[in-house]
Amino acid sequence: VLSDEEKRKQYDAYGEEGLKDGHQSSHGDIFSHFFGDFGFMFGGNPRQQDRNIPRGSDIIVDLEVTLEEVYSGNFVEVVRNKPVARQAPGKRKCNCRQEMRTTQLGPGRFQMTQEVVCDECPNVKLVNEERTLEVEIEPGVRDGMEYPFIGEGEPHVDGEPGDLRFRIKVLKHPVFERRGDDLYTNVTISLVEALTGFEMDISHLDGHKVHVARDKITKPGAKLWKKGEGLPNFDNNNIKGSLIITFDVEFPKEQLTPEQREGECSELPRAGKNLAQLIQGL
Amino acid sequence: MRGGRRLFPLLLLALLRGLCHGREPAPGAVTCGSVLKLLNTRHSVRLHSHEVKYGSGSGQQSVTGVEASDDANSYWRIRGKSDGSCQRGTPVKCGQAIRLTHVNTGKNLHTHHFPSPLSNNQEVSAFGDDGEGDDLDIWTVQCSGTYWEREDAVRFKHVGTEVFLSITGEQYGHPIRGQREVHGMPAANHHNYWKAMEGVFIKPSVDPAKHDEL
Repeated sequence: VLSDEEKRKQYDAYGEEGLKDGHQSSHGDIFSHFFGDFGFMFGGNPRQQDRNIPRGSDIIVDLEVTLEEVYSGNFVEVVRNKPVARQAPGKRKCNCRQEMRTTQLGPGRFQMTQEVVCDECPNVKLVNEERTLEVEIEPGVRDGMEYPFIGEGEPHVDGEPGDLRFRIKVLKHPVFERRGDDLYTNVTISLVEALTGFEMDISHLDGHKVHVARDKITKPGAKLWKKGEGLPNFDNNNIKGSLIITFDVEFPKEQLTPEQREGECSELPRAGKNLAQLIQGL
Repeated sequence: MRGGRRLFPLLLLALLRGLCHGREPAPGAVTCGSVLKLLNTRHSVRLHSHEVKYGSGSGQQSVTGVEASDDANSYWRIRGKSDGSCQRGTPVKCGQAIRLTHVNTGKNLHTHHFPSPLSNNQEVSAFGDDGEGDDLDIWTVQCSGTYWEREDAVRFKHVGTEVFLSITGEQYGHPIRGQREVHGMPAANHHNYWKAMEGVFIKPSVDPAKHDEL
């Protein structure tokens, strides 16, 4: 999508013009080619203050991590294969730029033209090299945080290479929901457990069990706070958030039989009340 | 003798543990989550996209082949289908369906029934938003062997229109002079081989859940 009118017309037409190679004049092409390069290069690196040293592009790689990895941490090994500038025999053109040249055509008549002017530099060629990098997923890391590797981005033959940045993307978990350093989860208990109490173990992200015990009535939607059972805080791993368990009560699927209504159900408490009295009491 | 009898089960345990944790499957394989450049082996250009739309056909973002080896707009991310089936570090199998997402613009490699502008083959575009497009973003990796090895030249066959990702050498003029047309063609030939080149390759990992303590 281009806002520049002239460029838009050119882009719209390039499909047909492709076969007419060499048709265009040279100056406009070279200028737009370099303009595109520089525009992109500086766009990819907003922090660059010193415009004198050209810089290669940054590469941002999304790194998907699970909530288990956010809890316990992990290391991810990657192989970086990248082009590296190496000395080659001979010379090459570098630091090419547009300059205006004024030529005299005759007495009092001048012409100004754009010219590409380059310096001479030692020749370089790009050779692919590989190295292994290790990215640490620190406990408590948050979505969007970045781990940069300076100089591991795209090379620039006339300057410095850009950076490689790993951007953390925390995946959704089937059991736990993250809110800051707290974890939220839902547990369904039966109607009898809701009325009479229960004991259970919840498996946490690293496999350890969180013990939950209730001896009172548990209403649907009731929340239980377990301090210290959330995620470690990124800045201080010793501080952990809380685990908040929301209880959902499962009601019987079929209607109660007349016997059950009279309290013949053997799972009811020893107090001797029948089901109807128990519910009336609530 | 007593020591020997106790030693044997310990050795067996260590050996099995080693097989589980010590050896990665297919260490040279391309994995999901990796970011890479693809080189067409016949024409020596890299698969590339940029914020330039086709002037004909679908009018979507164009996909081309470029000669430069240091252009960040040639990076593509390997992902599974949108069902979340390919986790980070899982080696890609030959025949597996994947998506290729252009890193800088977030659009997926895509093809559809539009003619390509120069050769009148099938137009290949970059489509979608933030990595999500539609069902025409899916390609299967065709290679011999079990996994897509980085050293191998592979083909990409489109799921839906059955064409192969190809270049036959037609070149664009201004403003993307010298870039080659990338299109889909029904024939499998030497124009549709691609090789993984520069990139950030996540090492293949074994799913830790599969190896519980013995």
